[in-house]
Amino acid sequence: MTAPVQIEHLFKTYTRRRWLGKNWEKPVLRDVSLTLEEDHVLGLVGESGCGKSTLCKVLLGIEKPTSGLVLANGQDVARLSKSEFKKLRRVMQVVYQDPYSSLDPRMNVRQLLSEPLDIHGLKKDPEERKAFLKELLGAVGLSETQLARYPHEFSGGQRQRICIARALALNPKILVADEPVSALDVSVQAQILNLLKEIKKSRRLSMLFVTHDFAVARFLCDDIAVMYRGRIVEKAPAEDLFTNPQHPYTEALLSAVPSVHRRGEKPSAEPAAECPERESWACPFAARCRYARPACQEGPFELKEVLPRHACACRVLPFKTTKSKSAV
Amino acid sequence: MTQPDEPILEVRNLKIAFSTEDGLLPVLHGLSYTLPKGRVLGVVGESGSGKTVHALSILRLLPPTARITEGEIRYRGRNLATLGRAELRKIRGNKISMIFQDPAASLNPVLAIGEQLTETLLAHRKMSKSAAREKAVKLLEKVGIADAEKRLHEYPFQFSGGMCQRVMIAMALALEPDVLVADEPTTALDVTVQAQILKLIKQLQQQSGMSAVFITHNLAVVAGIADDVLVLYAGLCMEYAPASQLFERPLHPYTQGLLNSLAPVHRKVEVLPVITGHPPVPGALPAGCPFAPRCPFVFEKCRRECPPLFEENGRRTRCWLREGK
Repeated sequence: MTAPVQIEHLFKTYTRRRWLGKNWEKPVLRDVSLTLEEDHVLGLVGESGCGKSTLCKVLLGIEKPTSGLVLANGQDVARLSKSEFKKLRRVMQVVYQDPYSSLDPRMNVRQLLSEPLDIHGLKKDPEERKAFLKELLGAVGLSETQLARYPHEFSGGQRQRICIARALALNPKILVADEPVSALDVSVQAQILNLLKEIKKSRRLSMLFVTHDFAVARFLCDDIAVMYRGRIVEKAPAEDLFTNPQHPYTEALLSAVPSVHRRGEKPSAEPAAECPERESWACPFAARCRYARPACQEGPFELKEVLPRHACACRVLPFKTTKSKSAV
Repeated sequence: MTQPDEPILEVRNLKIAFSTEDGLLPVLHGLSYTLPKGRVLGVVGESGSGKTVHALSILRLLPPTARITEGEIRYRGRNLATLGRAELRKIRGNKISMIFQDPAASLNPVLAIGEQLTETLLAHRKMSKSAAREKAVKLLEKVGIADAEKRLHEYPFQFSGGMCQRVMIAMALALEPDVLVADEPTTALDVTVQAQILKLIKQLQQQSGMSAVFITHNLAVVAGIADDVLVLYAGLCMEYAPASQLFERPLHPYTQGLLNSLAPVHRKVEVLPVITGHPPVPGALPAGCPFAPRCPFVFEKCRRECPPLFEENGRRTRCWLREGK
């Protein structure tokens, strides 16, 4: 049995052709390898601009990979024809960040939820369709009476529920969630996170969950990959990563999460505001790293297994086995 | 000179309503607080709680459909709610300034950063263009922008979200205001950038001794920056307390619910405790306490009568459970 999503040595470079001179090139993903295991939630954590949304786009077939292999449900997404991709979409669905802009304001809930079914020719019998929509709305905590309403009549949290229902309409096996809660109030975030956890269990979904917030990732994810400037810098089962973070960047991200339990505590790592990328350096984080030393400039970038199932790309820090302070 | 404890900003029984086709729709039902010099007040509430409307009202930036129906906003004894336009212009950006949620949308995309920064300075101070430019460079350096001289000529699209917010902060602080009103200044930013911006605001606030009103939907964000916290719900103050006390022992069930629903990063939980139901829609407030339909401790009296703010040891709580405590 293959994993629902398998990504191997994925590179993605955006290029702009110039009429004269060299083409403008921006490498966004560099040698990314990830596996989303069956029934697991893989958290992809990183700051904006690190390439996490591009990775989603490549996986969903919106962007073509520059090189490397992306297998979704065992199929190479770069080589699929249009009709094959349509079939794949029944297996893999997506929920986006902003529930305000991802729903057509001129469609009511019934139309929004029926659209994927119509496209794929499912549940054509009106009675069957009606029963299905009722069940679907129930699963996301909305009621049948809301079918005739339009998106503007709903709050942000309710809209995100509609987006989730729409993604679930085709009964997919894989769900790609690109920052699904970061546009919501914290009190609503908790509701949506509980809902995602519940449907993941009840529908046996495998989920790629993109976020920049470690608190959210800890609640939902089984495995975590930390991304920085297009590279995976640390990859581990969630509990290992939180109790024993290895990479300085992970440490910095963890300490940046605002928490009422750590009032007055200063963040341990002070990431420089914005720093020039040092292309020549092997480690992409070196310019911001408080442990950086000359050794970081040399040698190839390498993601190495430092503990069982725990890979980290930092060569300078001797790996720690004790509990880190930020994970208390 | 003001006395250390003299309030810089005093809001008294502030009521704001939107005019709609069906008449006035009240969104803020009598908010009162005082902001002493050098202190930071965190105002926390969900969307629709009236927190942004309250922020906008301080500088009278409300949309034309909304208006202050009652109450006072006193800045150094002057009532901003009734002040004339010309007087107000002298205060806006000069004595009281504001930072908004979306930094990229608050900057003019077709003007260079330097022009926007010097504009504020030239409007309020008698200084030459070159002096304003010099000052602008200093300001950018102060908020942690490297290569400030060069970046003055750049445009907002050349800055990242966090950098744009730094520029906004520089603009807001350009004239050394007494009060900074920050409306969700970090909500659109990454957690790491958020941590930097919060630290920067706190640092600058402490250096200059200005006061600040910090508005957010996330209690964890104000935990590190606010001295006092005011929790808004459906246009009413539910709890007001010094931050240390509020986080240690929240008294109102709503505050407790908000704190519990934060996903913790220091441990794994199976289910997040949530506040069930939805906040009430403005205009359709339940009789009695607005939080009663969602409250786990609700009893008969709550549904009948809205509790007043009960005072105890310097904190105020709008809950019948605190009656006579």
